[in-house]
Amino acid sequence: MEEYNPVDEVAFNADEVNISIKECVEGVIGGTDYNQNKVNQWTASIVEHSLTHLVKQGRPFKYIVNCAIMQKSGAGLHTANSCYWDTTTDGSCTARWENRTMYCVVSVFAVAVTL
Amino acid sequence: MSEVFKDKSQRRGHGARGKEATGRTKDSISTVSYIDELAHHDDNARMAITTENTYQLGPNKRMPVPAVTDILKDVLTSYLQEEKYEVEWSQKMTKTICEVVRARVKELMIPRYKIVVLVHIGQLAGQSMQISSRCLWDAANDTFASFSFKNSSLYGVATVYAVYYE
Repeated sequence: MEEYNPVDEVAFNADEVNISIKECVEGVIGGTDYNQNKVNQWTASIVEHSLTHLVKQGRPFKYIVNCAIMQKSGAGLHTANSCYWDTTTDGSCTARWENRTMYCVVSVFAVAVTL
Repeated sequence: MSEVFKDKSQRRGHGARGKEATGRTKDSISTVSYIDELAHHDDNARMAITTENTYQLGPNKRMPVPAVTDILKDVLTSYLQEEKYEVEWSQKMTKTICEVVRARVKELMIPRYKIVVLVHIGQLAGQSMQISSRCLWDAANDTFASFSFKNSSLYGVATVYAVYYE
Protein backbone atom coordinates (compact mmCIF):
# COMPACT_ATOMS: atom_id res chain seq x y z
CA MET A 1 0.00 0.00 0.00
CA GLU A 2 1.69 3.21 -1.13
CA GLU A 3 0.86 6.55 0.43
CA TYR A 4 1.14 9.63 -1.71
CA ASN A 5 2.93 12.53 -0.03
CA PRO A 6 2.91 15.76 -2.07
CA VAL A 7 6.45 17.11 -2.25
CA ASP A 8 5.76 20.71 -1.16
CA GLU A 9 4.24 19.51 2.08
CA VAL A 10 7.17 17.32 2.93
CA ALA A 11 10.13 19.69 2.44
CA PHE A 12 11.28 21.60 5.50
CA ASN A 13 10.18 25.24 5.57
CA ALA A 14 12.92 27.17 7.33
CA ASP A 15 11.37 30.63 7.12
CA GLU A 16 8.12 29.63 8.73
CA VAL A 17 9.94 27.82 11.52
CA ASN A 18 12.20 30.84 12.11
CA ILE A 19 9.19 33.06 12.67
CA SER A 20 7.47 30.66 15.00
CA ILE A 21 10.60 30.15 17.09
CA LYS A 22 11.11 33.87 17.52
CA GLU A 23 7.53 34.16 18.70
CA CYS A 24 8.09 31.39 21.24
CA VAL A 25 11.23 33.03 22.57
CA GLU A 26 9.57 36.41 22.76
CA GLY A 27 6.70 34.86 24.67
CA VAL A 28 8.90 33.22 27.28
CA ILE A 29 11.67 35.75 27.93
CA GLY A 30 10.24 38.79 26.15
CA GLY A 31 10.52 41.58 28.67
CA THR A 32 12.75 39.96 31.28
CA ASP A 33 16.33 40.41 32.38
CA TYR A 34 18.78 37.58 32.81
CA ASN A 35 18.03 35.67 36.00
CA GLN A 36 20.20 32.78 37.08
CA ASN A 37 17.42 31.10 39.04
CA LYS A 38 14.98 31.10 36.22
CA VAL A 39 17.16 30.40 33.23
CA ASN A 40 16.71 26.66 33.60
CA GLN A 41 12.94 27.00 33.39
CA TRP A 42 13.24 29.41 30.48
CA THR A 43 15.32 27.16 28.29
CA ALA A 44 13.07 24.21 29.09
CA SER A 45 9.93 26.10 28.27
CA ILE A 46 11.31 27.70 25.08
CA VAL A 47 12.31 24.30 23.86
CA GLU A 48 9.00 22.70 24.77
CA HIS A 49 6.88 25.42 23.22
CA SER A 50 8.92 25.38 20.02
CA LEU A 51 8.58 21.63 19.82
CA THR A 52 4.82 21.81 20.38
CA HIS A 53 4.43 24.36 17.59
CA LEU A 54 6.45 22.21 15.25
CA VAL A 55 4.46 19.12 16.07
CA LYS A 56 1.18 20.94 15.46
CA GLN A 57 2.19 21.40 11.84
CA GLY A 58 1.71 17.67 11.50
CA ARG A 59 4.63 17.12 9.14
CA PRO A 60 6.44 13.77 8.96
CA PHE A 61 9.61 14.88 10.73
CA LYS A 62 11.64 14.03 13.79
CA TYR A 63 12.78 17.22 15.50
CA ILE A 64 15.78 18.26 17.58
CA VAL A 65 15.48 21.66 19.25
CA ASN A 66 18.48 23.17 21.03
CA CYS A 67 18.43 26.42 22.98
CA ALA A 68 21.35 28.35 24.50
CA ILE A 69 20.82 31.39 26.69
CA MET A 70 23.84 33.46 27.66
CA GLN A 71 24.19 36.48 29.86
CA LYS A 72 25.64 39.55 28.15
CA SER A 73 29.03 40.24 29.57
CA GLY A 74 31.12 41.13 26.58
CA ALA A 75 32.26 37.55 26.22
CA GLY A 76 32.29 35.89 22.84
CA LEU A 77 30.35 32.82 21.79
CA HIS A 78 30.61 30.75 18.62
CA THR A 79 28.24 28.00 17.59
CA ALA A 80 28.51 25.68 14.62
CA ASN A 81 26.69 22.62 13.41
CA SER A 82 27.42 19.94 10.88
CA CYS A 83 24.89 17.39 9.68
CA TYR A 84 25.05 14.12 7.84
CA TRP A 85 21.61 13.62 6.30
CA ASP A 86 19.58 13.80 3.13
CA THR A 87 19.69 17.43 2.00
CA THR A 88 16.59 17.13 -0.18
CA THR A 89 14.26 16.25 2.68
CA ASP A 90 15.94 17.37 5.89
CA GLY A 91 16.66 20.88 7.07
CA SER A 92 17.66 23.09 9.92
CA CYS A 93 17.02 26.58 11.08
CA THR A 94 18.77 28.77 13.66
CA ALA A 95 17.21 31.81 15.29
CA ARG A 96 19.12 34.40 17.27
CA TRP A 97 17.42 36.76 19.68
CA GLU A 98 18.77 39.27 22.13
CA ASN A 99 17.70 41.88 24.59
CA ARG A 100 19.54 44.21 26.92
CA THR A 101 20.90 41.51 29.23
CA MET A 102 21.07 38.25 27.36
CA TYR A 103 21.45 36.38 24.09
CA CYS A 104 19.33 33.42 23.07
CA VAL A 105 20.19 31.08 20.22
CA VAL A 106 17.71 28.40 19.20
CA SER A 107 18.51 25.72 16.60
CA VAL A 108 15.93 23.40 15.12
CA PHE A 109 16.90 20.33 13.11
CA ALA A 110 14.21 18.42 11.23
CA VAL A 111 14.95 14.92 9.97
CA ALA A 112 12.45 13.38 7.57
CA VAL A 113 10.71 10.13 8.30
CA THR A 114 9.34 8.02 5.50
CA LEU A 115 5.86 6.94 6.40
CA MET B 1 31.18 41.60 20.06
CA SER B 2 29.36 40.64 16.87
CA GLU B 3 28.27 42.51 13.81
CA VAL B 4 24.58 43.00 13.27
CA PHE B 5 23.35 42.33 9.77
CA LYS B 6 19.80 43.62 9.96
CA ASP B 7 19.18 43.36 6.23
CA LYS B 8 19.83 39.65 6.29
CA SER B 9 17.17 39.10 8.92
CA GLN B 10 14.65 41.12 6.94
CA ARG B 11 15.34 39.15 3.81
CA ARG B 12 14.61 35.87 5.52
CA GLY B 13 11.13 36.08 6.99
CA HIS B 14 8.39 37.79 5.03
CA GLY B 15 5.99 37.86 7.93
CA ALA B 16 8.73 38.80 10.35
CA ARG B 17 9.34 42.13 8.69
CA GLY B 18 5.85 43.38 9.38
CA LYS B 19 6.00 42.03 12.88
CA GLU B 20 9.24 43.73 13.78
CA ALA B 21 7.98 47.08 12.57
CA THR B 22 4.69 47.07 14.43
CA GLY B 23 5.11 44.75 17.39
CA ARG B 24 8.52 45.80 18.62
CA THR B 25 8.76 45.80 22.39
CA LYS B 26 11.03 48.18 24.24
CA ASP B 27 13.89 45.87 25.07
CA SER B 28 14.16 43.05 22.63
CA ILE B 29 15.21 42.87 19.02
CA SER B 30 15.72 39.88 16.81
CA THR B 31 18.90 40.33 14.87
CA VAL B 32 21.17 38.13 12.89
CA SER B 33 24.74 38.00 14.03
CA TYR B 34 27.41 36.73 11.71
CA ILE B 35 26.19 33.68 9.84
CA ASP B 36 28.42 31.51 7.79
CA GLU B 37 26.62 28.80 5.89
CA LEU B 38 28.14 26.22 3.62
CA ALA B 39 25.05 26.55 1.50
CA HIS B 40 24.05 23.63 -0.65
CA HIS B 41 20.89 25.18 -2.00
CA ASP B 42 21.46 23.86 -5.51
CA ASP B 43 21.25 20.29 -4.19
CA ASN B 44 17.60 20.75 -3.27
CA ALA B 45 16.73 20.87 -6.95
CA ARG B 46 17.15 17.11 -7.02
CA MET B 47 13.98 15.13 -6.49
CA ALA B 48 13.67 13.51 -3.09
CA ILE B 49 14.77 9.89 -3.25
CA THR B 50 12.12 7.32 -2.52
CA THR B 51 13.57 4.18 -1.04
CA GLU B 52 12.12 0.73 -1.06
CA ASN B 53 10.80 -0.96 2.05
CA THR B 54 13.42 -2.74 4.07
CA TYR B 55 10.88 -4.64 6.17
CA GLN B 56 13.18 -4.10 9.14
CA LEU B 57 11.52 -3.23 12.41
CA GLY B 58 14.55 -1.49 13.82
CA PRO B 59 18.25 -0.92 13.35
CA ASN B 60 20.57 -3.91 13.35
CA LYS B 61 23.20 -1.94 15.21
CA ARG B 62 22.47 1.03 17.46
CA MET B 63 24.66 4.09 17.93
CA PRO B 64 27.14 3.33 20.74
CA VAL B 65 26.91 6.30 23.11
CA PRO B 66 30.18 5.68 25.03
CA ALA B 67 32.16 5.43 21.81
CA VAL B 68 30.73 8.71 20.54
CA THR B 69 31.38 10.42 23.88
CA ASP B 70 34.98 9.26 23.65
CA ILE B 71 35.27 10.72 20.19
CA LEU B 72 33.94 14.05 21.44
CA LYS B 73 36.27 14.04 24.43
CA ASP B 74 39.22 13.21 22.24
CA VAL B 75 38.50 15.85 19.62
CA LEU B 76 37.69 18.64 22.05
CA THR B 77 40.69 18.09 24.28
CA SER B 78 43.12 17.73 21.42
CA TYR B 79 41.92 20.88 19.63
CA LEU B 80 41.27 23.10 22.63
CA GLN B 81 43.65 22.02 25.39
CA GLU B 82 46.33 24.66 25.24
CA GLU B 83 44.47 27.34 23.32
CA LYS B 84 43.42 30.82 24.27
CA TYR B 85 40.14 32.35 23.15
CA GLU B 86 40.44 34.57 20.06
CA VAL B 87 37.58 35.67 17.84
CA GLU B 88 38.77 34.64 14.38
CA TRP B 89 40.42 31.49 15.57
CA SER B 90 37.37 30.38 17.53
CA GLN B 91 35.12 30.89 14.55
CA LYS B 92 37.26 28.64 12.41
CA MET B 93 37.82 26.16 15.18
CA THR B 94 34.10 25.68 15.86
CA LYS B 95 33.54 24.76 12.25
CA THR B 96 36.63 22.57 12.08
CA ILE B 97 35.67 20.66 15.20
CA CYS B 98 32.18 20.11 13.79
CA GLU B 99 33.55 18.64 10.59
CA VAL B 100 36.07 16.48 12.37
CA VAL B 101 33.50 15.05 14.78
CA ARG B 102 31.11 14.35 11.94
CA ALA B 103 33.82 12.53 9.97
CA ARG B 104 34.82 10.43 12.94
CA VAL B 105 31.27 9.45 13.80
CA LYS B 106 30.74 8.47 10.17
CA GLU B 107 33.81 6.26 10.45
CA LEU B 108 31.97 4.20 13.04
CA MET B 109 29.92 3.02 10.07
CA ILE B 110 26.59 2.65 11.79
CA PRO B 111 24.21 2.23 8.86
CA ARG B 112 20.90 4.10 8.43
CA TYR B 113 21.70 6.76 11.02
CA LYS B 114 21.61 10.48 10.29
CA ILE B 115 23.97 12.61 12.34
CA VAL B 116 23.64 16.16 13.67
CA VAL B 117 26.67 17.70 15.39
CA LEU B 118 26.41 20.91 17.40
CA VAL B 119 29.47 22.72 18.79
CA HIS B 120 29.62 25.83 20.99
CA ILE B 121 32.88 27.56 21.88
CA GLY B 122 32.79 30.54 24.18
CA GLN B 123 34.97 32.83 26.17
CA LEU B 124 35.09 32.56 29.95
CA ALA B 125 34.21 35.98 31.31
CA GLY B 126 32.35 35.26 34.47
CA GLN B 127 29.02 35.10 32.66
CA SER B 128 26.35 32.55 33.15
CA MET B 129 24.98 30.34 30.42
CA GLN B 130 22.42 27.59 29.98
CA ILE B 131 22.10 25.20 27.05
CA SER B 132 19.25 22.76 26.80
CA SER B 133 17.59 20.71 24.12
CA ARG B 134 14.50 18.66 23.59
CA CYS B 135 13.89 16.11 20.88
CA LEU B 136 10.82 14.61 19.32
CA TRP B 137 11.96 11.23 18.05
CA ASP B 138 11.79 7.52 18.54
CA ALA B 139 13.40 7.00 21.94
CA ALA B 140 14.11 3.34 21.26
CA ASN B 141 16.35 3.97 18.26
CA ASP B 142 17.55 7.56 18.45
CA THR B 143 20.08 8.90 20.89
CA PHE B 144 22.56 11.65 21.62
CA ALA B 145 25.97 12.12 23.20
CA SER B 146 27.47 15.24 24.66
CA PHE B 147 30.73 16.44 26.16
CA SER B 148 31.92 19.73 27.60
CA PHE B 149 35.44 20.99 28.02
CA LYS B 150 36.92 23.94 29.88
CA ASN B 151 40.34 25.49 30.19
CA SER B 152 41.48 28.77 31.68
CA SER B 153 40.19 31.06 28.93
CA LEU B 154 37.52 29.21 27.02
CA TYR B 155 34.94 26.47 27.16
CA GLY B 156 33.68 24.13 24.48
CA VAL B 157 30.52 22.04 24.34
CA ALA B 158 29.89 19.43 21.66
CA THR B 159 26.71 17.40 21.15
CA VAL B 160 25.97 14.68 18.64
CA TYR B 161 22.40 13.57 17.86
CA ALA B 162 21.90 10.30 15.99
CA VAL B 163 18.53 9.78 14.32
CA TYR B 164 17.53 6.47 12.77
CA TYR B 165 16.29 6.68 9.20
CA GLU B 166 13.14 4.56 8.92
